[in-house]
Amino acid sequence: MQDAEEKLDQWMRFYRSVQVLLRAGPRALRRLSAAELTRLIDDYQGLTADLARARSFGAARQTVDQLNRIAVAGHNLLYGQIRLREAGATTRWFGRFARAVRAHVWAVALSATMLFGSAVVSFVAIQLDPHLGYDLLDESFLDFDPASKENLHNIPSLARPVISSLIISNNIQVTLLAFGFGLTAGLGTSLLLIFNGIHLGSVAGWMTLHGKQRALWGWIMPHGGTELLAICLAGAAGYLLASAIIAPGQVRRSTALKRVGTDALTIELGCMVMLVIAGFIEGFVSPSQIDYASRIGVLVMSLALWAIYLLSAGRDRTPLVSSDP
Amino acid sequence: MKSNMDESVFISTPDHVSLEFELAGPGSRFSAYVIDFIFNVLLIVVIFLVVFLTGGLFTLRSLVTSSQGSSSWSASWILAFLVLVIFLINWGYYIFFEGLWQGSTPGKKRVGIRVIRQDGLPIGWREAALRNLVRAADMLPPPCYLLGGLVMYFDPLGRRLGDMVAGTYVVVEKFALAEQGASGAAWATRVEQGRSRQALTLARGMISAQQIGLIEQFLARGRELSQERRALLVWQIAEPLLSMLGEDRDSLARSADRTERCEQILLQVLDLAQSREPHVAVARKTPQPSSLF
Repeated sequence: MQDAEEKLDQWMRFYRSVQVLLRAGPRALRRLSAAELTRLIDDYQGLTADLARARSFGAARQTVDQLNRIAVAGHNLLYGQIRLREAGATTRWFGRFARAVRAHVWAVALSATMLFGSAVVSFVAIQLDPHLGYDLLDESFLDFDPASKENLHNIPSLARPVISSLIISNNIQVTLLAFGFGLTAGLGTSLLLIFNGIHLGSVAGWMTLHGKQRALWGWIMPHGGTELLAICLAGAAGYLLASAIIAPGQVRRSTALKRVGTDALTIELGCMVMLVIAGFIEGFVSPSQIDYASRIGVLVMSLALWAIYLLSAGRDRTPLVSSDP
Repeated sequence: MKSNMDESVFISTPDHVSLEFELAGPGSRFSAYVIDFIFNVLLIVVIFLVVFLTGGLFTLRSLVTSSQGSSSWSASWILAFLVLVIFLINWGYYIFFEGLWQGSTPGKKRVGIRVIRQDGLPIGWREAALRNLVRAADMLPPPCYLLGGLVMYFDPLGRRLGDMVAGTYVVVEKFALAEQGASGAAWATRVEQGRSRQALTLARGMISAQQIGLIEQFLARGRELSQERRALLVWQIAEPLLSMLGEDRDSLARSADRTERCEQILLQVLDLAQSREPHVAVARKTPQPSSLF
């Protein structure tokens, strides 16, 4: 049957040219002439028509499978190279983190409450009942002497690169968990933030109680602003995911998750960058010999820079899709 | 225990073509995970070996040139580098491969599955990052994948939490096109020309469209079946037609080459059906078992 051979040839020819073009990379379609492109599209439409007929008139399963496979390849070629411009995509990458944070201030507020609230509570608790320190603190912290102007060489300069990379990877891991555990309806995120808050608050409370607060703050301040802000924002990303599970609104939970996904990812990626910066400060600046005043200066300056960035970057563009209620 | 997962998902394209993707089950996904886990560990071991062998030589050489300080500095930086690389491999292995290989990893490739977007297109870096950065939640309690497994079990599309956040499915990747395209093409040509499967009216009776469809399916796939099953099926399909075609049922039933002769007869029926001019289809709606396979 001549027609059948032609038909088969047409399918296979289309399939082969699609394979070649898919392998040729994302700009392959642009290099085709108008006639070649028209023929490609015609072949695709002919093939999808055959697929539709094969399904509705009950062709053999293998025929449907074969046509379906070729159609998938064709679809990936013809549609995969179209980059649909999402509304948020008009903002360059620099402003996206700030925009995503501003779009979900409630999550930032909740996260900050968990982290700093538990820190304040444990700080006050230790002032009121010093014995709590033995319960709340790790043993290694009971006699801990933070690096300060008087106590410089807790971190030998040789170990600084290692300490820095350990701190960076550890902190990023904490933010990744705070982010991912949002999927436990926020339970894991809350636990993580509260534990970290208690740790922070009780160390600060214990040191204050023993008169080492000046050394402690001197040690924490240069990197602490950036680091704690990053952990707080990662918690916000986690709560954003949690909100899609707890209150999906009019859509399915899976759909709600997909909607907040991009913003949550943007915030988390921003936090990682912040932590890399904080890690370098913690590894190199905090243990250095700069005096107390400059330590305060680094803190104030870093917080001011982050505030300016988060409040103003990416403002003059159209709103994000997912920021709509 | 039957999960309520569908076998496949249909994705509608903007031009109203419905593409079918076979969903990957928990079994194949788990085996891909095991392979990737082994690969992951091997990667870390290899990097350790490479760094310690070359780093060790490096340190030795700088000791010879008697610059004590620089050698310990380089050791410190090498250690820092190792810490970061291991962290990156742990968290970035899946992101790297799925982003680069359009939804595939060494394990997934081996098992024959891949990740696609909900619109049927291959995933990019955004989806790869999202579905793998929240993997920690699916893994709860680590490393049991209890939470992710439960979500997969109850989701008709077999998604874990990471798939929902990223908007992805894990589907079966079929590698080679089936070789038999000719009968499908012949069929498609006939349908296009308005001669879809129709009942075949003979002098002594009528072969329904469903029966003809059954014959087509059998002739297309019969060779994949075992000898006994094939003999049984061909007899089941051919027996009701024999009297219409003027064959002697009883003598055929006893003959030694029954299967071959029945296949010949079915081929003849198909030829006959395909050569007929279109005519009014009768009794298209007769209920019939749609498939015996």
